[in-house]
Amino acid sequence: MAFLLRRVVFYLAAFIAAATINFFLPRLMPGDPIQIMFSGAGSNLSMENLNALKLTFGFIDAPIGQQYLHYLQSVFTGDLGRSIKYFPLPVTELLARALVWTLGLVGSATIVSFVLGTLLGVMAAWRRGTLFDSVVSLLSIFSSSVPAVVISLTMLFVFGYSLHWFPNGYAADPMLDPAFGWAYISSVIHHGALPMFTMVIVLTGGFAVTMRNNMINLLGDDYIVMGRAKGLSDNQVMLWYAARNALLPTVSALAISVGAILGGSLVTEVVFNYPGLGNMLYQAILARDYPVIQGQLLIMTAAMLVANFVVDLSYVLLDPRLKKA
Amino acid sequence: MQLFSQLVQNKKALVGVIILAVILLVAIFAPFLSEYSPTQRVGRPHQPPSLDHWLGTTRLGHDVFTRLIYGARVSLAVGFGAGLMITLVGTVLGIIAGYRGGVVDEIINFFTNLVLVIPNLPLLLVIAAFVGQASPPVIAVILGLTSWAWGVRVTRSETLSIRQRDYVKSAEMLGEPSWRIMAFEIFPNLISIVGINFIGSVIFAVISEATLEFLGLGDPNTVSWGIMLYNAQNASALSVGAWWDLLSPCFALALLGLGLALINFAIDEVANPRLRTGGMLGRWTRMVRAGEGKV
Amino acid sequence: MSVLSVRNLSIDYIGAKTVFHAVKDVSFDIAPGEFFGLAGESGCGKSTIAFAISRLHRPPALIRTGSHILVDGRDVLELDDAELRSFRWREVAMVFQSAMNSLNPVLTIEDQFYDVLNTHTGMSRSAARERAAELLGLVDIPTDRLSAYPHQLSGGMRQRIVIAICLALKPKLIIMDEPTTALDVVVQREILQRIHKLRQELGFSVLFITHDLALMVQVSDRIGIMLEGELVEVNDAQTIYRSPSHDYTRKLWASMPRLHGEQIAQDAK
Repeated sequence: MAFLLRRVVFYLAAFIAAATINFFLPRLMPGDPIQIMFSGAGSNLSMENLNALKLTFGFIDAPIGQQYLHYLQSVFTGDLGRSIKYFPLPVTELLARALVWTLGLVGSATIVSFVLGTLLGVMAAWRRGTLFDSVVSLLSIFSSSVPAVVISLTMLFVFGYSLHWFPNGYAADPMLDPAFGWAYISSVIHHGALPMFTMVIVLTGGFAVTMRNNMINLLGDDYIVMGRAKGLSDNQVMLWYAARNALLPTVSALAISVGAILGGSLVTEVVFNYPGLGNMLYQAILARDYPVIQGQLLIMTAAMLVANFVVDLSYVLLDPRLKKA
Repeated sequence: MQLFSQLVQNKKALVGVIILAVILLVAIFAPFLSEYSPTQRVGRPHQPPSLDHWLGTTRLGHDVFTRLIYGARVSLAVGFGAGLMITLVGTVLGIIAGYRGGVVDEIINFFTNLVLVIPNLPLLLVIAAFVGQASPPVIAVILGLTSWAWGVRVTRSETLSIRQRDYVKSAEMLGEPSWRIMAFEIFPNLISIVGINFIGSVIFAVISEATLEFLGLGDPNTVSWGIMLYNAQNASALSVGAWWDLLSPCFALALLGLGLALINFAIDEVANPRLRTGGMLGRWTRMVRAGEGKV
Repeated sequence: MSVLSVRNLSIDYIGAKTVFHAVKDVSFDIAPGEFFGLAGESGCGKSTIAFAISRLHRPPALIRTGSHILVDGRDVLELDDAELRSFRWREVAMVFQSAMNSLNPVLTIEDQFYDVLNTHTGMSRSAARERAAELLGLVDIPTDRLSAYPHQLSGGMRQRIVIAICLALKPKLIIMDEPTTALDVVVQREILQRIHKLRQELGFSVLFITHDLALMVQVSDRIGIMLEGELVEVNDAQTIYRSPSHDYTRKLWASMPRLHGEQIAQDAK
């Protein structure tokens, strides 16, 4: 319990750090921070609305310390300001709407690639030195070194534009009514398949390499040899003795890579015109809609911290040595 | 030196170095490889590949091949520049934290973990967005300042174990100053970790630069692979059928990433021989097949 | 008939360019109930022999054709995969070098009894629990430790548990590969006494491997001395102690502080 409590305190500090970056960035830039932040609005914003926005971001007539506290208060009360491009939509509402799609895409892709990559890594390590091992290693090198944007564009070109197997954009057929009918759901799956598959390609290699290396590093350990000496089947030793132990460092590697996964999803969404956070962010960048750009950092950080906490929890379940600690 | 001679014999390293060398040579000798200027209109918009324009033209009538070979300069410069910064910060902080321990370690470790849980690309996006059209050197600096945490973590944990070795202990007994111990006793033993960190950081920087530019945060007047992607995407290259406009920089980025990753895996294999794939069992397999023995 | 009969055993490690001859044409026998010691410096091939008996090697190790390892008259090197799995642990069990590391850290002690009992005899969970409790009794470990994880137990306790797991299927031969090097002297002594006692009760043979010749003379009936992959001398323990015939054995003795033999064996009685 103490372990988990320490983690929660740490995550809180990390979240405040992200908010702090948001607060100071516009103030560190040369020029008037208010001008920078809200220039995208042009003359669309009434004086009254502009003042409300300034208040949210801590631009008040007070020393910088008080401004900072004011901003933190906004953040922790869930007020991330309003989008300038889609005024008067609140940033939280806008991002929450997009987050659903991103979580669906990232969640399913992460689960599939984690399971697939881990299994491939386990089998490659178990058959170390064989052709299977070499093939898995080479594919992993490929998948973990080619930029997500490149894989996304190539997939879109091949399977979307050339073969026409999958649609080229959007999360569902815009003609369909988003009711929970079969037609809508199958359309969502059809539209989501290619971006998801792309992310699986991007992510699987990293998981496979991590798992393979972790496995190999413990295959010489005495308890593995003892498992074999006990007459257990290969699968039993491979899964319950080797993989079960190698999974621990792999899971903590997963926690660190959540950030990279979210980053990869941003790019994939932009390429596939998928209405998640990435696309939202892309639109915001083009329009210099700073409240949205800042808001996504906080949302992404929060998502990362929640994911890390889930990993912490599963770590406690997986490793009996942590239960008492 | 032993690391180096082993690397020379590694097939992955060889292929990786060849790829990298080719890209480097092309970047250096770009003006001799193409008669065109990368920033001038030299043909009609979106011409398919031909003898005049090996990789076709962009929507603005630029020669794609020319932009590609000049763009290699930017990718390499940003990659190695930022990679060097990231590695420098990561190695120095990692060694200090691991060797000094105590409060220094706790402070460095805390900030390292903090940076590790703030997602990197979203952070880069926010910073780049405030900087406005970021030129390649600016992107390199931003990357250098935000991406050192992973390096600190691995360097620190390796330093912790090296600190316990006899030669470090005896240097301490002899009263060597701690900067000398860190620089001459610890650092040489971290060389493969530093190498992996460096190449990994270069890959990360190349990918990140291209991604930031693709997302519209770069300076559109730059000739770089990321900006090529951005322009091609904006010109809807795929929907109008101008695949060469988009796939050329894609291929170049994939090739550079692959070359660097091969070198990195090779260093990893040489530093940790257990990780090696293929090759070593060939003779064993032949002997078993020939009935000379079994396990 | 011998429990174990090793004939002309040769084992190589096949590198890409070089071949390392780890074991060179070694032959020896272990009689039923015998405590046989195999001594030599680290790297002399004694552990390589131990691994070969249960066929635990992995590439690039190569057991040369012409080698024979007979357990109860059956050549282990002729077994197919299924026969091999059923042979392992049922006929030859093994205690490994590091006490700290030979139990699976993420499984409870009970699980580690259960998997071996279930695999070999199809025993149910509850029957396995009973049998495991009985076996723990043999090594004086309270039954409630069954639900513990390895990290909750001391090194000596873990090694006794490994010995209890070894006894689960009543094997004819237990191989002990430096079973006490990771333990302190008091625990080491206690464990060897216990093995001695269990051997008298249950009648299994022991192949005991160590670099500690003095310790070995105290516990073994017969001893083989290994040097660079070759078995240079095999004799009963007292002869090895009093009048070693090979130069190398004498050198080994010269490099060790002499102790009084037979102590542990006597204490156990």
